[in-house]
Amino acid sequence: MNYRIKSLQLRLTLELAALFFVASCLAVVGLIYSASLTAGSLADRELGLRAEDLARSVSLDENKKPRLDLPSSLKQAYSAAVQQSVFAIRDKDGHIVEASTPEIGAMAARWPPADSEPSYFRLRKFGPSERDYSGVSIKLDSAAGPLSVLAAEASGSDQLIHSILREFVFDIAWYVPPFVALALLVAAFSVRRSLLPIRAASAQASAIEPASIGLRLPEADVPAEALPLVVTVNQALDRLEQGFVIQRRFTANAAHELRTPLTIITARLDTIEGNGQLLALREEVARMNRLVEQLLCVARLDSLALDVSSPVDLHQVAEEVVGSMAHLALSASLTIALTGAHHPVLVTGNTAAIADALRNLIENALAHTAPGTEVVVEVGPEGTISVADSGPGIPAEDRPRIFERFWRGKGVRASGAGLGLAIVMEIVRAHGASITVNDRIPRGARFDLRFRSA
Amino acid sequence: MRLLVIEDEDRLSGILKSKLGAIGFAVDIAASGADASAALELINYDAAILDLGLPDGDGLAVLGATRQAGKGLPILILTARDAIEDRVAGLNAGADDYLTKPFAMAELIARIKALLRRPGGVLGMTLDAGNVRLDTVGRELTIAGIPARLSRRELTILEQMMRRFGRIVPKAVLEEKLYGIDEEPDSNPIPVHIHHLRRQLGTAGASLLIHTIRGVGYILAETKA
Repeated sequence: MNYRIKSLQLRLTLELAALFFVASCLAVVGLIYSASLTAGSLADRELGLRAEDLARSVSLDENKKPRLDLPSSLKQAYSAAVQQSVFAIRDKDGHIVEASTPEIGAMAARWPPADSEPSYFRLRKFGPSERDYSGVSIKLDSAAGPLSVLAAEASGSDQLIHSILREFVFDIAWYVPPFVALALLVAAFSVRRSLLPIRAASAQASAIEPASIGLRLPEADVPAEALPLVVTVNQALDRLEQGFVIQRRFTANAAHELRTPLTIITARLDTIEGNGQLLALREEVARMNRLVEQLLCVARLDSLALDVSSPVDLHQVAEEVVGSMAHLALSASLTIALTGAHHPVLVTGNTAAIADALRNLIENALAHTAPGTEVVVEVGPEGTISVADSGPGIPAEDRPRIFERFWRGKGVRASGAGLGLAIVMEIVRAHGASITVNDRIPRGARFDLRFRSA
Repeated sequence: MRLLVIEDEDRLSGILKSKLGAIGFAVDIAASGADASAALELINYDAAILDLGLPDGDGLAVLGATRQAGKGLPILILTARDAIEDRVAGLNAGADDYLTKPFAMAELIARIKALLRRPGGVLGMTLDAGNVRLDTVGRELTIAGIPARLSRRELTILEQMMRRFGRIVPKAVLEEKLYGIDEEPDSNPIPVHIHHLRRQLGTAGASLLIHTIRGVGYILAETKA
C-alpha cells in the first residue's frame, strides 16, 4: 500500500490517539489484574481465618473423639449458605470430624493429610450446584490435637473485584477521555505552531523568481527537524544563483565582445562605395548593432539592481531623448514633438534607465508610424510620459504579450529583435511604475508611463 | 587638421585613419596610453579620439594627464563600455563628447566636426554647411557664393545651428545666445526669427532646411537632393 497520510499534523494526531487508546486499554487490563490479585489474597486470608475459627471450635467429647461445636453465630452463617461456604475437618488419623456437605466430606477423605503451610486450591463445577470453589487446606492444632481443615468458598462472588473496578471507573477513569482529547489538542496545536515558520519559508519560496534570485528561505525559527531541508534548499539556491550570474555575465560579455568586430564591419562598409545591395547590407549591420546594444541593455538590467532612488526631471529627460532622436525621425521622413509640461516634472528613479525606456518607446513608435506623420511625446505634470504614434495601433489580443522578450507582432514591417518593449517593461518594473497601451484617436497607439512622484 | 586616434585595435584604427584621411584629416595613431601621452606632448593636435579600453591602463588616465598638462584640445571618447557611470566619469575627466561602439562612421565624423566647429576649434572660424559659408569673425555670410545679409539675431541663430549642423539645437540655447547680444529687449520670440531665417535662406537659394522639433528645438539639415 502506497497510501500514506501526508499531513504531519493529522498523522501525529491519529498516532497519538491510537497510543492513548492502547495505553488506556493496558491500564484497565492491568487494573483488573491487580484488583483480582488483591481480591484473591484477601479471599485467601479470609479462608485461613475461617479455617482457624473451625479448628478453634473442635474439642474432644466424652468418648475422647474430636467434635465440632460451632458457636451459634457461625452455625447460622454456615447453615444459611450451605453451598456457598463449605468445609471439612479431619483428625490426625484421617477420619472425618465434620463436613458441611457430604460431597466435600467425600472429597476431603481422599486427600492426603494437610500440611501446616496452607495450600490453596480451586474446584471446578463441584457439588450439586456445580459451582467453582476456591479453598484452603491447612493443618491446625486444636484442643483435639492436629487437624486437617479444608475451607472453601464458592467463587463467582467477585464482589470485591467489581467494587474495585467500579471505584476505578467512577473515581479515576472518567478523566481519561477529556485528558486524551486535551492531549490531542495540545499536540495538534504544537505541531501547527512549530510548522508556522515552514509556512513562512514556503511563502518566501514562492516569491523567488529570476528577478529576485538573491532571496533565501528564512532559517530562523524553523524547527530543528526541518532546518536541514531549509539549509539545503538555500545552498541549492546559492548554486543556482551562481549559475545565473555566470550566464548573465556570459550574455553581457558575448554582446560586449561582439561590439569591436561590429564596429569594424560597420566602419569598413562605410568606406565602400557601392550600390543598393551595399545599402541593404549597411541596414542589416545597423540592425545588428542595435540588437547587440539591446542585448547588453537587457543583460545589464538583469544583473544590476537598478538604483531608482534619485530625483529625475521627466521633462529634461524627454527633451534630451527627443532631441537626440530627432535626426532619426527626420531621416525617416517623420516628425517628432515634445508636448505637455514645459517645466521640471520630478519623479524618483534612475535618469539613464528612464531615458533608455523612452528611447525604446520612441524607436518603437518611429518604426510603426507612416512617413509624413508625427510621433508625439507628452510629459504630464503628475509624473507621466506618453509616446503616441499614428501607426496601425496594437490589437487588444496582442497587448498582454508585447512586453515579452523577442515578441514581434505579425505582419509588422519593422524588423527589430523584439527586445525594446521588454527593456521598457524591465525598467518600468524596477521603478514600481506602470505602463499601459491605449488606442490613439483617430489612429495609432499610445504608451502611457506613470511614475511615482518624487 | 591633425587628429590623434588612440586605439589599440589596429584594424579599427586603420579604418579610422583611411576614412578620416579621405575627408582631409591628418591622422596619427597611438596604440597605447604611453604612446598617446608622448604624441600629445610633442604635437599640438586639433582633436583626439580616445578609446577608454587601452592595454596599458585606463584611457581616463591619459585624458586626465592631458587636461592636467593644460591641453584644451577637443577629445572624443570612444568606448565599448556604455554603463552610464563610465560616460559620466569620462565627461567629468574632461572629455568633450563620447561615442559607444559600435558606431556609424558618419556619426563619428559629424561629432568630430561639431567639436572642431566650436568657437576656438580649428573649424570654428569659418563654418560651412551645404552651400552656405559663415565667417564667424568677419560676420560675413555667403550663400551659393553670393554675399548675403541677415539681421544680427538671425545670424547668431544661424551660427549656432551651423556649429551643430545636423544635430539638435535646443531652443533654450538659442534664447540664451540672443539675450546676450545687447541690452535692447527682444520683442520677437524665437519662432519668429526662425520664420524669417527660413524665408531668407529659401530666397537666397541655400541648400539648407531648418526642421522644427516642436517642444525641443531646431535641426539644421541639408536639403535632400
